[in-house]
Amino acid sequence: MKKISINQCGVLIVMCIFANKILLMPSLMYERTSADSIFVLALLFLLDFIILPIFIKLKTLYPDQKFYDVLKEKIGIFFTKLIYIAMLLFFLFKCLLVFSITYVYFKQQIYQDEFLFIALIAFLPVINHAVFVGIRSFSRTIELFFWIVIAGFIICLAISLFTPISSPLFFMSSVSDFFSSMHNHIFAFGDFMFFFVIMDRIDFKKGNIKNLYYYSLFAIALVITLFYLFYAKYQTTAFMHNNALADLLVFSVQFNAIGRLDIIAMLTIMLITLFQMEIFSYAFCDCFMGIFPLNKIYSVVVFDILFLLLYYVFIGRYETMVVSSLHWLPYLALLINYLLPFIILIIVLLKLKRNKSG
Amino acid sequence: MKNRIKAILKTPMVIVFIVILLFYTPFAIYSPGENRNRGVVTALGIDKTEQQYEISLLTFIPTANQSYQEKSSVISGKGDSVAEAVYNAQIAMGRTIGLAHAKTTIVNEELLSEDVTSTIDYLSRIASLPENTVFVCTNKSAKEMLEQSHDLVNDLGLKLEQIIAYNANNLYVTDTSLEAFYKGYFSFVKSSIIGYLEIEDDTNMSEDNSEVSGAENTSEGQSEGTQGSANSTSANGGAKNKHIVNQGQAILLKEGKKVAVLDVEQLNGINLLNDKSVGQIIEIEDVKKEDQIFSMQYKVKTKKVLITTKFENGNPIYMAQLILGVELVEVDGEHDDLRINTEFSEITEDISTKLESKVKQQFTNSINILRENDTDVIGIGRTFFQNDRKSLKKFIENLGGVEEADKFIDYVTFKLNVIVQPE
Repeated sequence: MKKISINQCGVLIVMCIFANKILLMPSLMYERTSADSIFVLALLFLLDFIILPIFIKLKTLYPDQKFYDVLKEKIGIFFTKLIYIAMLLFFLFKCLLVFSITYVYFKQQIYQDEFLFIALIAFLPVINHAVFVGIRSFSRTIELFFWIVIAGFIICLAISLFTPISSPLFFMSSVSDFFSSMHNHIFAFGDFMFFFVIMDRIDFKKGNIKNLYYYSLFAIALVITLFYLFYAKYQTTAFMHNNALADLLVFSVQFNAIGRLDIIAMLTIMLITLFQMEIFSYAFCDCFMGIFPLNKIYSVVVFDILFLLLYYVFIGRYETMVVSSLHWLPYLALLINYLLPFIILIIVLLKLKRNKSG
Repeated sequence: MKNRIKAILKTPMVIVFIVILLFYTPFAIYSPGENRNRGVVTALGIDKTEQQYEISLLTFIPTANQSYQEKSSVISGKGDSVAEAVYNAQIAMGRTIGLAHAKTTIVNEELLSEDVTSTIDYLSRIASLPENTVFVCTNKSAKEMLEQSHDLVNDLGLKLEQIIAYNANNLYVTDTSLEAFYKGYFSFVKSSIIGYLEIEDDTNMSEDNSEVSGAENTSEGQSEGTQGSANSTSANGGAKNKHIVNQGQAILLKEGKKVAVLDVEQLNGINLLNDKSVGQIIEIEDVKKEDQIFSMQYKVKTKKVLITTKFENGNPIYMAQLILGVELVEVDGEHDDLRINTEFSEITEDISTKLESKVKQQFTNSINILRENDTDVIGIGRTFFQNDRKSLKKFIENLGGVEEADKFIDYVTFKLNVIVQPE
């Protein structure tokens, strides 16, 4: 089986960490916890980050085994399938949320009333193709564009420094607001869970493992910087700006004369979205193939059908998708982000104990 | 060749690419140009008269020509609501309105008699009016202002947003965009500053400024003291010539309503503790030198501001030390061979005292205006919050809670220490 390197794994996790956090989330979070959202974000990242050493330990203990097989061996096929169904839904809704938010952003940018059909025609074939060619090919593509994306991201952050910014006011929100905000936005996290899905396709060479930490910390630092600069720039009006990364670049009188600088943000966001959708659809298809004994073609077709059905029939409107991500999807995220890693931790500890005694 | 084509066709991505290309190409070829369906609005004016709204749009129409001149015109629509007025303006234009490039938004003074956010809410939330649009108020009609600005570009090549940008950088020393307005509006003190430009008829101009030229179809800039005007003829060919007059004024808003018109002197007072605000002229009179009495004008070249706050017996005290580097720029008086020389440039104790007193007076006047209207555009509350949030919270609670936070400025004791140095 073709495996991906640690560096490719790193660029994949950077894209996952950016998912659903760089456009709408800063503004949504501000409504409840104002600038303290940065602490909410940091705490959620910290909880997420704990999953990384658990994953590394599991991978070291089961270097070539599939995550599905590890679970099946420890908790039985029924619970494994249940967990995989939950993960399938988790990645499907993550993909839908990424698409919904980016779609609305582009709709605002190109002044179109509705271009969903065109957007789907542009996105779906590419992400389907990514699933077909496999993780090694699309992670190579992401690796190729990685520094372009990062450069675009950093330019967006850097240009905001040319406009008046002042330190946001911290410690304004109550403890209950702080924790309810954490709960509401949990669904945007759990990024490291993707690693478990592709566990058997990662080539773990010992010396490079620390690179995974570096990549993750780098992405987390970029997202936290984005939040800080966004709140420092907009302060009380942060709730009015739904596209944080792009809005950092525009909305300054100083750059009014230059013209459409926002093309930098548009290109960056377009690439990030495409890569995130590729990752999530791949994860969906992998979970699907774990649950049902069917091949890739079926999984891709089912993904497309579910994606379109959910978007058109059940969700349809952007607001419904966003509200869902804040209200009922956090329960799914609680299961995937915290309960599942806890089960994995127990599996790891049991294995370690057995190794010691054996 | 045949094998190569076969090899290419075997790559699924190429097929995907060809399919997408086949799908988009006819669209691209047969779809009409965007400019046939969409009018690009570069400035927007909102007027309210007798319960009706009038939306005026300075619209740029892209047409092929051999000169660099942009073709633009002012189109307007009326309605009972802003949405209806925009809709009617759209019908008049025969195109869908695109507000994303609207760099200036003008409202008439009438609109500011009530909370202006209810008017602009539709435009910024639904109609995609960008928040970086410069927000300006005018004394008469926003439509007239747009017509004059249209002529201003034709005659002088001067754009309205450039005039406002000058004011924003040199007088207001703060951003006066819609974004900045909203920032102030949603803050605890609910106050903000926006630019103010007047339109005057030739007759009025002649009364106010004796040196204003009213030549038809010509334009010239002029200045007298703090006043300046850019002249242009009326766009609709009316009998009177109208002029945009920039006196550097600004409007102080509280909860979206106009509470005061600030002149340059008051704006300078407000910006006294802003180290970015330099270049102001300070005039002192009755300066005695060599047995003669002079009136002297100094220009602020540099500024250093040190601010500290404290609560003394529960009372907020705002202390600022202002070190001004000044340069003598003009001397008027009974003298024979006046020139700005070393002798005059020396800042004596008498001059220093007079300058300090003048600056303090200017600051006191500005603070009084802010106190009268419970507005804090300087950020006094914010400084207290950053320095001693606990005491501030306690003080605000005693005042009656966050709702009364805007009254905080009334209770602050200001201690200003001014040091004047020659530059």
